[in-house]
Amino acid sequence: MTTPTETPTTTVARDLPSSATPRQPRPASGSSRPGRSKQAASETRAGYSFLLPWMIGFLGLTIGPMLFSLYLAFTRYNIFTPPQWIGFDNFVRMFTEDQQFLQSVQVTLVYVLVGTPIKLAAALGVALLLNAVSKGSGFFRSAFYAPSLIGASVGVAIVWRAMFNSDGPVDAGLSAIGINIGGWVGNVALVLPMMILLAVWQFGAPMVIFLAGLKQIPRELYEAAQVDGAGKVRQFRSVTLPMLSSVIFFNLLLETINAFQVFASAYIISNGSGGPAGQTNFYTLYLYKRAFGDGQMGYASAMAWVLLVVVAIIAFIMFRTSKSWVHYAGDNR
Amino acid sequence: MTTAGSQITSPAQLEVPLVAPPAGGRRRSLKLTPGRIAVYAALTVLAIIVLYPMLWLFLSTFKPSSEFGQNQGLLPESPTIDNYLKVIEGIGGIPLWRFFSNSLLLAVAAVVGTLFSSSLAAYAFARIRFKGAGIFFAAMIGTLLLPFHVIILPQYIMFQRLDLVDTFWPLIIPKFLATEAFFVFLMVQFIRNIPRDMDEAARIDGAGHLRIFMSIILPLIKPALITSAIFTFIWTWNDFLGPLIYLTSPENYPLPIALRLYNDQTSTSDYGATIAISFVALLPVLLFFLVFQRFLVDGVATQGLKG
Amino acid sequence: MFTTRKRRAGIVLAATVSAAVALTGCSGGGSPEPGATFDPEAEVTLDFAFWGNDVRADLYNEALAAFNEEYPNITVNVSFLGFPEFWEARQVEAAGGNLPDVMQFDYSYLRQYSENGLLLPLDDYLGGIIDTEGFEQNILDIGVVNDQTTAIPAGTNAWGMYTNPQLAEESGAPLYEGGGSWEDYNDYLIEASAAASANGVYGGADWTGRIQNFELHKRAQGENLFTDEGEPNFTQEEVAEFFALGDEIRSEGGSVPGQQLEEIYPLSAFDSARAVTELTWDNFGAGYLGNLGEGYTELGLVAPPTAEEGSQDLYLKPSMLHAISAGTDHPEAAATLVDFLVNAPETAEAFGTNRGLPASQTQLDALSLEGLDAQIQEYEDSIADRLGDAPPVPVVGYGAIEEEWRQIGLELGLGTLTPEEGAERFFTEMEVVLNS
Repeated sequence: MTTPTETPTTTVARDLPSSATPRQPRPASGSSRPGRSKQAASETRAGYSFLLPWMIGFLGLTIGPMLFSLYLAFTRYNIFTPPQWIGFDNFVRMFTEDQQFLQSVQVTLVYVLVGTPIKLAAALGVALLLNAVSKGSGFFRSAFYAPSLIGASVGVAIVWRAMFNSDGPVDAGLSAIGINIGGWVGNVALVLPMMILLAVWQFGAPMVIFLAGLKQIPRELYEAAQVDGAGKVRQFRSVTLPMLSSVIFFNLLLETINAFQVFASAYIISNGSGGPAGQTNFYTLYLYKRAFGDGQMGYASAMAWVLLVVVAIIAFIMFRTSKSWVHYAGDNR
Repeated sequence: MTTAGSQITSPAQLEVPLVAPPAGGRRRSLKLTPGRIAVYAALTVLAIIVLYPMLWLFLSTFKPSSEFGQNQGLLPESPTIDNYLKVIEGIGGIPLWRFFSNSLLLAVAAVVGTLFSSSLAAYAFARIRFKGAGIFFAAMIGTLLLPFHVIILPQYIMFQRLDLVDTFWPLIIPKFLATEAFFVFLMVQFIRNIPRDMDEAARIDGAGHLRIFMSIILPLIKPALITSAIFTFIWTWNDFLGPLIYLTSPENYPLPIALRLYNDQTSTSDYGATIAISFVALLPVLLFFLVFQRFLVDGVATQGLKG
Repeated sequence: MFTTRKRRAGIVLAATVSAAVALTGCSGGGSPEPGATFDPEAEVTLDFAFWGNDVRADLYNEALAAFNEEYPNITVNVSFLGFPEFWEARQVEAAGGNLPDVMQFDYSYLRQYSENGLLLPLDDYLGGIIDTEGFEQNILDIGVVNDQTTAIPAGTNAWGMYTNPQLAEESGAPLYEGGGSWEDYNDYLIEASAAASANGVYGGADWTGRIQNFELHKRAQGENLFTDEGEPNFTQEEVAEFFALGDEIRSEGGSVPGQQLEEIYPLSAFDSARAVTELTWDNFGAGYLGNLGEGYTELGLVAPPTAEEGSQDLYLKPSMLHAISAGTDHPEAAATLVDFLVNAPETAEAFGTNRGLPASQTQLDALSLEGLDAQIQEYEDSIADRLGDAPPVPVVGYGAIEEEWRQIGLELGLGTLTPEEGAERFFTEMEVVLNS
């Protein structure tokens, strides 16, 4: 493997203020010219060759089960007897009768809307701090990633509850500064904030991705900016942010999707119950309880597809709006 | 190379010279400026907050089981290493190393499979213009959106019909087929961020997609590859649901299943042993992270630029 | 546009049909030959699954080693998980028609698996491969669903009240001597909590949060929770009234506060030494002692209060059963294993009371019980007059119904639900579960 030795500096620099750069029209499809169509065919062939493993996985492993779950969404299916077609009943029940469903939507939305921005801000902030130091950065990186290593084991449930119990470290710390709200664990109003803080505590994954994105920024850009007289703030705005935008977009989208699907942490903290008082009954946990606890796979599938549609709409909007602020150094010609 | 400057129209543009300035040698001095001290102070405070629960967890591995629920403090009242001794014994006649080697095998296979298949797919999506790319890309994002729990059942039936239940294959094959869209998308984002000049130059020299992929793109997305390797390893190491469904023999169990075997709500639960094995299980992933995070220090930026 | 939509519908249909075939085509099979015996020469491999922890796994290893001395040709592959994971795995396997040959089984899932033809009817083996000598008929009847025996009880337990005499003494609380009326027990809880709550100790937890105590109330009136047809035998008003029985203790600090119950999870108030009494199954004692730790060496086990003196509100429930998959290729060998697990003295010696008190007299005789185990046996003897016939095998989804009740109980304690709201939510949920 050869290591490219040539700098991509020029292009990158040229593309920097991406939002301000007038977009060049894409080359027309050009099927009028015979050479072009031949080239297009070879590109298509190459594309499908590279995509082959994914394609096999998609067609062989993913699409069938997905479509089957879509079918189940219109059935009553308890796993033990064959599914029974009931039309839109599952969806009607969801939005008109099921109080627990409506509550789970509510707590999930709070979790996503409050938790995701905080987690991403923490991840980006720490990544920038880490990027600014060289000595000891390995230690700090590992320290900040450590909570994400343990995933969602029983140990996490035990330790997190211990932190937020009455007279635990959080209660004691808040009392020391005059805030006496007692333990969080059994306080119906504070359980959701506690879950959000658990997600924030495990901010290692987006942090590492931010770090990787920061490492991909050629140092020359900063040097050039310095030569240009740009201060730190200006460097951040005109070099870091645009060059990191593709990674910011990735983290924003994926963390949003993941937050909508939060399951493991709620499952272990509440021992699968979603309590107390439904405050950890997040969408996917509730779906899981219906599917495997009560044998309502049809209803659970309907819930899954409602979630898919909602998140797909959000993702679509994000992709659309991303065109105005996400910059890809390789896309502009 | 094409001329560049003429295309910049923004007032916020940077006057970047076409040739990079001579690399400034040790640009980063180790001198402690006030700014740097502030950064270190902030990092230290944050690290203490973040690590405190980890410390609590570690120290509680020395608590006898009965102290859980009765002693919520940081320090064990009567410290013991019994939890570790019990964990080392293994479970139900199966030695501890067996669970470790199962986890390790699954995790390494997953890393190899994911890096291979995801980078190929990502290159196709990011760099090749072909018919249907848009639809497939949307479909790939779509696979991220459906909660896993509703597709477990049909997937299980498929693998069962292939007679692959209680083998590692249902857990490994999908990794080689890029079913984790997270990594494909991650690599797409990084590849799209690489300027096209270099592959276009290579194309003019007659290089095909495979060569461009191997010799230009892969080295340039090293941070994304390292990141994907770290995440795949750790997530596979911690995966519970997949092994739960596909593996039935305890000899095939990976650690996450083994570490729940000390808990049975219908009889006694040994929380001391549970936490001790959680910690022992943590060591290999910590080691993996410590080793691989080093590569994040030298990203492409420095590597690609200093010939 | 129209054509593509049509084509997509076609794909959906194809996927559906093939999956539906996969789902229905796999169950059944393996019908027993009447009066069959096991050919000891044949080489057979059986899959056997149980739930439990590392301790139980060792006990099974011991029992199976004894089994293999007698039947060297039967290889048993064991698989074990914790309780919720065990049932999740079984559900997926049931959908794929791929259940293990022999399973440790739970009462609350018995009806669901039996009625769907997933379990092998054992009647033809009873008295043959499976010895019934040591079983009372009413114990064997516990495993009968729709006139077919599909599971054999391995151990039994009964509802009872554990007390912690040492904690009572240390904290200054009196000790409940057992029996009496539920009003007596309420009075006790308030008195004990008033005496001991300064030390962080209470009389007990709110007992209305357990469906078993409601069942006791129903049985005191001579009715079971559910009819033979699986219909609920109670009204929403009855449930609300029952929840309200705990208003007094909840409002006067007679029970462990809801917030504390949440905080000490995963332990209960009793095994974290915050409650002097606990109404529960009588085989839970060993677990409690383990979690309480070395500071506590003995527990008391007494009868629960009753709503009607002289009624037969208690009954023996199987703490655990054994069942065989309808799809097994080796029904005789599987029956041989089940026989060994429920009858062989070697098995009893290995397990002691880990599975509850052995259901078969043969196994019970093989044990010399001491300590807590002897206490449990004495307890079950002492309540003999209160033991009535077991109710019909629990309705499909009983586990979920029981858990919903417990959750509502916790919310009553947290004050987020009133008894009426709790009853309403319980009925809504129960109807959903019963109709799924």
